[in-house]
Amino acid sequence: MPYRLGVDIGGTFADFCVLDETTGALSTLKVLSTPATPGAEVIAGLAGVAQRFGIGADAITWFTHGTTVGVNAVIQRRGIRLALFVTRHFRDVLELARLKSPDPYHLLSQRPKPLVPRERVFEVDGRLGADGTELEPLDEASVEVALERAEAAGAEGIVVALLHSYRNPAHEHAARAVIARRRPDLPVYCSADVWPIIREYERTVTAAVHGHAQPRVARYLDALQAALRQAGVAAEPMVTKSNGGVMRAELGKTRCVEMLLSGTAAGAIGAAFVARQAGVARAMSLDIGGTSADVAVIIDGAPSYGTGERVGDFQVFIPTVAVTSIGEGGGSIAAVDAFNRLTVGPESAGSTPGPACYGRGGTSATITDAMCVLGLIGHGALGYDSVTVRRDLAEAAVDRIAAPLGRTREQAAEAIVQVAISGMYREISKLAARQGVDAREFCLLPFGGAGPMLGPLLARELGMREVLVPATPGVLSALGGLIADIRGDVIETVYADLDAASLPRILASFARLEAEAMRWIREDQRFQGEVTLKPSAEMRYRGQSFEIEVPLDRAWLASADLAAIAEAFHRTHERIYGHADAEAPIQAIALRMVVEGSVPRPRIPEQARETGTPAALREVEIWLDGARRSAPLYARSALRHGHRFAGPCIVVQEDCTTCVPPGMSGEVDRFGNLRLILA
Amino acid sequence: MPIDPVTLQILANHAQAAAESMAFTLFRTAHSTFVKETEDFTTGLTTPDGQTFASPRELGATWFVGLDYGPVIRAIDDYREGDVCMTNDPYSGFVCTHPPDLHLWKPIFWEGELVCFAVGHIHNTDVGGAVPASLSRALTEVHQEGIRFPPCKLVSEGRLDRRLLDIMLLNVRAPTQNWGDLKAQLASVNTGERKVHEMIRRFGIETFRQGIRDLLDLGERQARRVLASIPDGDYPFTDYLDEDAPGGLPCRLHLNLKIRGEEAVMDFTGSDPQLAASLNMPTGNNPRHILLMVGWNYALYTLDSSVLLNGGLMRPCTCIVPEGTVLNPVFPAAVGMRSMTCARLQGVIMGAFQRAVPDRLPAGPASGGPMMNVNTIDSRTGRRVMAAIDPITGGAGGSPFGDGMDGSGANNGFLKNTPVEINEAEVPIRILRYGLEPDSGGAGLHRGGLATVLEFRVQAPGTVVTARNRDRTRFRSWGVQGGKPGAPSQFWRNPDTDRAENLGNTDVVTLDPGDVIRIVCSGGSGWGPAWQRPVEAVLADLAAGKITAEAAMRDYGVVPGDAAATAAGRGARAAPPARGLDARAERDAYERVWTEANYAALTEILALLPVHWRHYAKRRIFALVEADPDRRGDGSEVRAAFAALQAEFPQIAH
Repeated sequence: MPYRLGVDIGGTFADFCVLDETTGALSTLKVLSTPATPGAEVIAGLAGVAQRFGIGADAITWFTHGTTVGVNAVIQRRGIRLALFVTRHFRDVLELARLKSPDPYHLLSQRPKPLVPRERVFEVDGRLGADGTELEPLDEASVEVALERAEAAGAEGIVVALLHSYRNPAHEHAARAVIARRRPDLPVYCSADVWPIIREYERTVTAAVHGHAQPRVARYLDALQAALRQAGVAAEPMVTKSNGGVMRAELGKTRCVEMLLSGTAAGAIGAAFVARQAGVARAMSLDIGGTSADVAVIIDGAPSYGTGERVGDFQVFIPTVAVTSIGEGGGSIAAVDAFNRLTVGPESAGSTPGPACYGRGGTSATITDAMCVLGLIGHGALGYDSVTVRRDLAEAAVDRIAAPLGRTREQAAEAIVQVAISGMYREISKLAARQGVDAREFCLLPFGGAGPMLGPLLARELGMREVLVPATPGVLSALGGLIADIRGDVIETVYADLDAASLPRILASFARLEAEAMRWIREDQRFQGEVTLKPSAEMRYRGQSFEIEVPLDRAWLASADLAAIAEAFHRTHERIYGHADAEAPIQAIALRMVVEGSVPRPRIPEQARETGTPAALREVEIWLDGARRSAPLYARSALRHGHRFAGPCIVVQEDCTTCVPPGMSGEVDRFGNLRLILA
Repeated sequence: MPIDPVTLQILANHAQAAAESMAFTLFRTAHSTFVKETEDFTTGLTTPDGQTFASPRELGATWFVGLDYGPVIRAIDDYREGDVCMTNDPYSGFVCTHPPDLHLWKPIFWEGELVCFAVGHIHNTDVGGAVPASLSRALTEVHQEGIRFPPCKLVSEGRLDRRLLDIMLLNVRAPTQNWGDLKAQLASVNTGERKVHEMIRRFGIETFRQGIRDLLDLGERQARRVLASIPDGDYPFTDYLDEDAPGGLPCRLHLNLKIRGEEAVMDFTGSDPQLAASLNMPTGNNPRHILLMVGWNYALYTLDSSVLLNGGLMRPCTCIVPEGTVLNPVFPAAVGMRSMTCARLQGVIMGAFQRAVPDRLPAGPASGGPMMNVNTIDSRTGRRVMAAIDPITGGAGGSPFGDGMDGSGANNGFLKNTPVEINEAEVPIRILRYGLEPDSGGAGLHRGGLATVLEFRVQAPGTVVTARNRDRTRFRSWGVQGGKPGAPSQFWRNPDTDRAENLGNTDVVTLDPGDVIRIVCSGGSGWGPAWQRPVEAVLADLAAGKITAEAAMRDYGVVPGDAAATAAGRGARAAPPARGLDARAERDAYERVWTEANYAALTEILALLPVHWRHYAKRRIFALVEADPDRRGDGSEVRAAFAALQAEFPQIAH
């Protein structure tokens, strides 16, 4: 009886999602995460899976894992002490970044402190030109001097980031060799090896973030592998990646930069899977937890990608599923200022102490407390019995907001929710304008602990007509990891004009990328199944300062079809920016190749269609849209394919609550998803 | 009756969403690199009478929060659904402030009634005129600064006026870019209209109408609360631009900030006369003109960042700006480089507020960053390359809360640099150095931020390097509470060679192949006495290479590894701070000649002269005072100089 297991570890919970490969049935489980001893929750969860579902470790044939060890190391700056070697007279690459202040209206606004402070940045002699030719050889003696000073400064690892290494990594590699001669024990991270893009700050900060977290992630994965072996899991563990794919945990030890944002990426992949299955062409996933609220745009079952996604104080510039933060989640704190202005966030009660109603010492009113006062949550335990909701504490917290507002408790609670929703409305409006889409044409796909609670209200505010609540909204990231393909990215920066003269160079570069991608998936990844290669080029009109990624057809490369490549660029430019110029010269800045090895998709069993209305557990009293109302409370498990229901109503399941407001009606689809329609 | 505060907060979020959606739409669809790189554009929503109630926070220029569109809105008398109006004439209502800024406003209707306007501008790279990019300090009349459109309808009831467009495009140097950017502006105001209609459907027309006024009222109440927290008093402040024209005299900007309870007056009397150069700021006698208020908005937002960034913020302030001065010129004064004056004026306003609340605001920032442009031929391809390579920026001033940010910050925080690798790939130059300049930050208990330095070698003969906004080679930024001023800026051709040439405040230079340019911005100034800076902080700066060992000794009295010498060095410097403000010897020497009394006399004399005589008279009086062996600094030498001038030109007799 083979099973696949996906595990995603977040701040509060570790989510487990088990897929029965024979029947396609999904089972889910949450245990509290153990930030102090990362990995312990995996073992606890395995025990839970065995106990609860009778699935032994030996039956697990595919194991995927998403971890926050790397991202937390960067956010808390608890990784290793790095030194940085740079080209002489360019010491301030991290210090200056791209200059802009985080809040340019504020005279005291400061860029975050760099990950490697200036006193541990050392200059070496040697210079390459923009085309990669050597203008001045690398001076090994200067590297030795830099190394001595780095050692004196207590460096535990060294990032080497020299100008124009994206075109020619020779100087960086030579510097690494010099370091290794004297200190073979010291980890060295060459920027061209981490991700060889043009733009020195972006490449250097990506390498520094990687180096900072790498030893900690490697140690964690070592421990995880050992623990799984000991627990009897024979399957080789896979880790989820920021690009929405998976790779062998063994590879994660040296490529931790590719894993940093895997949690949010896996959630979007899970959402994309649900959207595809449900036949939804345009979806926005909405992942709301206790401390975060994130949105991804999913078109035709695929999430959009971006680079420059945020990790703590920094951005990393590797291909990442584009996920945009729109708030601070259910723990966002409400406050009233001197002008009786009600604000919600950005302060958050986080997971400790958490909302007042969790009874863990929090006293500030949060969104979750407001939902509790409104009677929308608290009809059972949350998070697999790990939290018992104390309504009295929520009421006391909300009363402190109600008094200065001159409102009743329920009115104040609803105000908190409305203000929070309007903040999310603002952020999603920005996202839609940035991407050139109209939110009203999208279906909202909420998940995470608080997504289905707030999502329908947000959809109403945005004028979205449909909300799709997946069957297992609490563990969608774990599901996403479970069903993700093996996926690798390679890149070469070419900085070439897209013309007949440069075409041979471009094609040769693609040939190298293809060979490297195949080597990765066959040798590093040891994947023997069928693979897909997806070439693309980052291009722009000459004179522009930003590139767009244009997917290419391998047939065009095979036939050296310059016109087709150019046409693809013009079309993509037109789609994104609303205009194109067929006459203007084009530059190809970087070429990329994605290689995918597909993992068999689960066939989620379809439910038999039932008719009629579901049976409610009971009627509960809620407050919504300015009035007290009676609403049926449904158990999610009682909602079967074909059932219809009308808002207002509340749907509870082990890991989350769905709140259907008045004016919305719902139906259960054949996969058990709730499809809510705004009348 | 105001709407309830909760609904207002929700409405505020929706209004913000509309303004931000407009900005992202414009940014996404704009054609010119200038818009993408410098974000020199705005979007917003105004009340029917033109007060801006919503502006974007994330994108766009920081200078135009609360811009009053009233004068141009009133210039058109018949608005219909589907209209879009435009102007880029600074003298038609003083909404546009130099010709490259093309402003649009679109009336938004609901059930036949005009309910608000969607507005915005883009700085076009070129609008024609005497010089490429349409901007030069040397220009003297607005007619030289490009084609100008008075307020007019570009789109009437949905129909674009092709003729108007053709005239515009015929007169500019990069018509494709301008037209592309104009389309982005049209998309932006249309997005604004759609979002406003969404808002009205969500809130109802009555709540919308009242709510947008309440947002402005809330901004005003917030501003009043900030002002109430500032002690009443008069807070005068003066600073100078090094030159009032290429190679010219200093240009004085003077403010007396009067705080009275919840209100303030900003009296700019005593600032220089209208100039025969393009540094004039056209403000049209508007007591709250946006160019006068940029520093105000920065100061209030820094004192309380929960304030709404809208037109209400400016209501408790009244500006006094005599006509025919650099801050209120009359037609047809050139205004193209008003940004340089405006940036320095921001510092003057920050300085006045700093005097009022010294424990809440920072010392003087570096000068506004010059934009470096290179115009050359790429010998590899034979192509002409014109590129903006980088803004040259300096740090923020030290503040009561810590050191100023290095490299950029304060009122320069909106600028972005260009990667060295991109510059070298695009422009045939070799960049030799880019980074922080040690010792350029003013010493202090909290050090001023360091300046950046850029050094590059050009390859082709006839390469022209332009550095707009060059300043602060003479007069430094100002340290406070005993802090020292930041270092002056520098501009060198072939530095450290026997061919070295100090280019000073030159803003255009033609180079030979192999020539090296070094440009260093001015530094931010320090806050608090340097000798009080903890020794560890000085040593940390030394270890980081932000200061040299020489400066550690000279400025801070710290000798690494020698506790006795350090104690002695710091003891020797532990004098009580001499005075509130320190901008170093250059300014002291200047102000020994050009005293308050002399400036008072000059201001009085020039105010009575016909405007077209003023800059000339200033130059002559300066020359005569300079030559006067018997200066007393009490105004008498100025009056004597003017008497001589009157004798020479009886036609200017008062």
